[in-house]
Amino acid sequence: MSGVILDKVVKRYGAVEVVHAIDLTVEPQEFVVLVGPSGCGKSTTLRMIAGLEEISDGTVEIDGRVVNRVAPKDRDVAMVFQNYALYPHLNVADNIAFGLRIRRTPKAEVLASIEEVAGILGLTEYLDRRPADLSGGQRQRVAMGRAIVRHPKVFLFDEPLSNLDAKLRTQMRAEIKRLHKRLGVTSVYVTHDQVEAMTLADRIVVMQDGHIEQIGTPMDLFLNPVNTFVAGFIGSPPMNQIEAIVEGGADAPRATFAGQSIALPKLDELSSRVGEKVTIGIRPEHAKIEPAGADAISVELDLVETLGSEALLHTTLAGNPFIIKAETGGDVEHLNQVTQFWAGPETIKVFDGKTGRAFGHPATSYQGGS
Amino acid sequence: MKLETHQGRKLMRRLTLMAAALATTAFTAPAFADGHLQIVDEPLELTVHLHWPRKQSYDETWPVELAAREMTGIHLKDATAGSNVKDSLEAFNLLLAGGDLPDIVGGHLLKNNVNKYGPEGAFVPLNDLIDEHAPNMKAFFDARPELRQAISAADGNMYYIPYLPDGKYGRAYFIRQDWLDALGLPQPQNVDEVYETLKAFRDGDPNGNGEKDEVPFFARNWEEFPRLVTLWDARTSGSDTYHDFLVQDGKIQHGYAQENYKIGIKNLAKWYAEGLIDPEVFTRGSSSRDYLLGENLGGMTHDWFASTAGYNTKLADTVEGFEFAAMIPPESVSGVRMEEHRRIPIKPDGWAISYQNEHPVETIKYFDFFFTPEGRNLSNFGVEGVHWDMVDGEPIYKPEIVSGERAVNSQMYDIGAQIQRGYWQDYRYEIQWTNEIALAGIALYDEGDYLVDQFLGVAFNEEEQSVFDKYWSSIRTYMLERQQAWLLGTGDVEAEWDDYLADLDRQGFNDVVAVMQSAYDRQYGQ
Amino acid sequence: MPDETRFQRVLFVLRRDWQLYLMLAPTVIWLLLFLYKPMYGLQIAFKDYSIFRGIAASPWVGLEHFHTLFGSDQFVRAVKNTVIISAFSLLFGFPVPILLALMFNEILHKTFKKTAQTIVYLPHFISSVIIAGIVITAFSPSVGIINYLISWLGFEPIYFLTKPEWFRPIFIGTGIWQEAGFSSIVYLAAIAGVSPTLYESAVVDGASRWQMMWKITLPSIMTTIIIMLIIRIGNLLEVSFEMIILLYQPATFETADVVNTWIYRQGLQGGQYDLAAAAGLFNAVVAFVLVIAANSLSKRYSRTSLW
Repeated sequence: MSGVILDKVVKRYGAVEVVHAIDLTVEPQEFVVLVGPSGCGKSTTLRMIAGLEEISDGTVEIDGRVVNRVAPKDRDVAMVFQNYALYPHLNVADNIAFGLRIRRTPKAEVLASIEEVAGILGLTEYLDRRPADLSGGQRQRVAMGRAIVRHPKVFLFDEPLSNLDAKLRTQMRAEIKRLHKRLGVTSVYVTHDQVEAMTLADRIVVMQDGHIEQIGTPMDLFLNPVNTFVAGFIGSPPMNQIEAIVEGGADAPRATFAGQSIALPKLDELSSRVGEKVTIGIRPEHAKIEPAGADAISVELDLVETLGSEALLHTTLAGNPFIIKAETGGDVEHLNQVTQFWAGPETIKVFDGKTGRAFGHPATSYQGGS
Repeated sequence: MKLETHQGRKLMRRLTLMAAALATTAFTAPAFADGHLQIVDEPLELTVHLHWPRKQSYDETWPVELAAREMTGIHLKDATAGSNVKDSLEAFNLLLAGGDLPDIVGGHLLKNNVNKYGPEGAFVPLNDLIDEHAPNMKAFFDARPELRQAISAADGNMYYIPYLPDGKYGRAYFIRQDWLDALGLPQPQNVDEVYETLKAFRDGDPNGNGEKDEVPFFARNWEEFPRLVTLWDARTSGSDTYHDFLVQDGKIQHGYAQENYKIGIKNLAKWYAEGLIDPEVFTRGSSSRDYLLGENLGGMTHDWFASTAGYNTKLADTVEGFEFAAMIPPESVSGVRMEEHRRIPIKPDGWAISYQNEHPVETIKYFDFFFTPEGRNLSNFGVEGVHWDMVDGEPIYKPEIVSGERAVNSQMYDIGAQIQRGYWQDYRYEIQWTNEIALAGIALYDEGDYLVDQFLGVAFNEEEQSVFDKYWSSIRTYMLERQQAWLLGTGDVEAEWDDYLADLDRQGFNDVVAVMQSAYDRQYGQ
Repeated sequence: MPDETRFQRVLFVLRRDWQLYLMLAPTVIWLLLFLYKPMYGLQIAFKDYSIFRGIAASPWVGLEHFHTLFGSDQFVRAVKNTVIISAFSLLFGFPVPILLALMFNEILHKTFKKTAQTIVYLPHFISSVIIAGIVITAFSPSVGIINYLISWLGFEPIYFLTKPEWFRPIFIGTGIWQEAGFSSIVYLAAIAGVSPTLYESAVVDGASRWQMMWKITLPSIMTTIIIMLIIRIGNLLEVSFEMIILLYQPATFETADVVNTWIYRQGLQGGQYDLAAAAGLFNAVVAFVLVIAANSLSKRYSRTSLW
């Protein structure tokens, strides 16, 4: 199987550069998700891989071959679009077969392929229907059928689930994951939804303003975001960020903010930063409401959102919102009384107050992907 | 909608009344205010529908209207329907469909409509009114009984007073005298000489440009080309309308069903094939005379005296030696010189009295006013002292009129003279601004007796009308189709003639002739 | 509310949605006034109509006018000519705007596209009289460009406009030239409505531009095409007769005379509104049948229909 390598790829529209020299290596059979807010260049990057956008600078390599000047049809990629891009005048079978027929595949082979793909995607009984007569999920499956029927080297997904409702999205997510496991085709997947990214990806590429902020496994990004942007983007809800001043020495660093103080992890870089501004990050999951030490931080509780086994406590800390994720234990009454939380220093992230870069980013076993 | 127009009309009436009142007070011309022409003691207002090509309405501020008002005491108020459409027939239908008729209905192409709706009760029969109240018109019609017959409807009544054109001549033969001179040829005097002359025009390079681009015979109206069958004693029309019936020895005939026509067409087809006739005669259209004369290409034509003679002055500077001379009709194969086209003495235009008119006597007197010497002069020349003066008993235009920048007739239309009311035209009006070459041509035609009798039309009763309507349009279409096919050489008149006559018969030609004949006999007292 | 009367219910609905009904009113009034009310006048096709007497007072004559119509060789010929001219106009004229729209859609150069579109739209805005003048000049045996080319190729010039066999091609060609560009606008609009991702998807699937035109563009605007076709078929007997009157000659009546020109000449002859109405009614009935037929055929075979 084949991988995709982006080497200093640039996209310019006239004088405006929207993708800035990005490097990315997608290993064979890997499932890579490009994630970021809208306008971050993730779709443009995908479309450059597909050949729908010209590459302004740098090279894109698929399966060891530079494809900058190769027509989309000859790149042997298949793409699934956000709005499915089904042909309204063709039925499901013809939609699936479209790519094969364009390539003048023998009839028998086409029929066999349709049958196989329909079997995989559970579309067998809908083959005669037109797209207008299908539900959103079914349409999405047809769109995927169109992609997989050609056995391409690379699958490209452009926000394929964003037109579906939440329940279907969860369901289709799992289906895509299963499909990838089964087919093992190199996939590049674009989404703005970090949940999709976390659940689907072998590795996630977080993008912002045409740059790659971080590449890593889902857990890696979750645990060790390289900067405040990634920290604020990954996780649901994302990491709480508090602006604070470093105090104490290398042995017992602390951060103070709005008259409160909390112990920080012992990071070498902090010793030289005493008195400087930092941003400290605490994941909602890591803020505990049971007493666990001396360093309690007081918060004002605004609102409790009950999710079932868990609840989100919307609080205010130093005038900023701060979210705590807590176990309900079957009872939300006691959560209404929360006025403080504790967080272990080992769970706290510290970022440079100016650049937002994480201090003491430890090398972890997740780095580098599969 | 009807209500609206009615109210609108009322409003208009009020507004124009005010305007007219102002105009009248300003108008002082005591010369004709002696009162002998006064029709009413108290001023009387009559409404009028007058739809005609130039204006589509009656203008109450025309000097002629103001003068007539002063002289007769009768004031015409404009109530023209369909002022927004150009087509007078359409306007007439709008008027009739509206239901309310003004006191006087007049304008262009009135005859068929008044003769159809008059007997149905829409218009007042005029015979008795004329006899009792209109001495001038009575005298006119007594002198010209055939005109009285010609405008009568099927029930024998007159329903409108026509516009009566004056002057005899319409179209004439014109030939390039300078070309003849260049080739050393005389004016052709008979059909054979015409043929030879046209051939000489074709081959002799009379325009001297070294190219064989001359168009020997051309015509603005393609119908003037088949009209050349008169050179073989055939006929194309009996009136100033193309393709009309004609009367020979009291019998209704149609030229296109006569033996001589076959011979004429056969010869004309030959002329056409030989390139003696403008090859594009059927499509070149109204600008052909401008083009072919202006480019020094056209040799001979048959067209109106005044306008055609006018090219001699128009092109004097651009075409060297240009001389387009009128010539008398060449002798036909039997030696007859015939000019088939002439001015018709009666136009289908004029005016009528509607059934809603409460003052028919005053109205007929008003109509009669335009047949008095004063009224006739007014309707022809405009206002005495303003537009013309009486010189030795002759109405003579003021110099600024004759030498005006615009044509005299256009100036007359602007003041309300020469418009299509029922009036008797005076040819002296036209003579004053006809150019000398045309007048010389007319004098030439006056020396001989080339004009043929006119068929002035018939009025059908309902039964005859339905037969005529049913068949005639198709027959006429068929005749023209064959005529063009033969002339263009796509058909052979000699071979097809018997079938053609049989087809005409099958399409009801004899029935049409029969109803024409019965209407004719009734109308002209055979 | 069970004791609510029907009237109250209507009043309630009217009051609730009065803005909507107000917006509907002009169309309804227009329909009633200009399309339904004139239908009252259709009865003159069965009457001996006199404008002065009015519609109601004119006597009935039954089917006499229809006997006259179908007893006339020339009317029958006019019907035949109408059908032939219309059918060929449809056959040759209908696909041209679609092809034009497809071609315009393929042009990427903006200035060139705009220029080309303007040039083909232009004839639509020129009056028929001028168009006819251009045609007459172009086909003139002496100065026409067509005959110039013909003689340049060594053939004899042809006096096209007096040849019955040339009338239809010239008329139909003129019609196409005059209207094809402007008619292509509706198809261009339909093409603009096709989602661009369909093309992107096809590009990735490996379709060529030609394949995309046939397999995506054309099927995507098929609904528009069929609706336009149904409308055209409904107007099959409506040949633009001003143009015919400007171009025809007695010499070409044989192939050029259509129902409307026949009615026109008939009307001029004697103001025969009743006969003209009968011919018009015949036209309308045929058009009605054609539209119904076209619509139901389309419904059956393409799942597209006007109603």
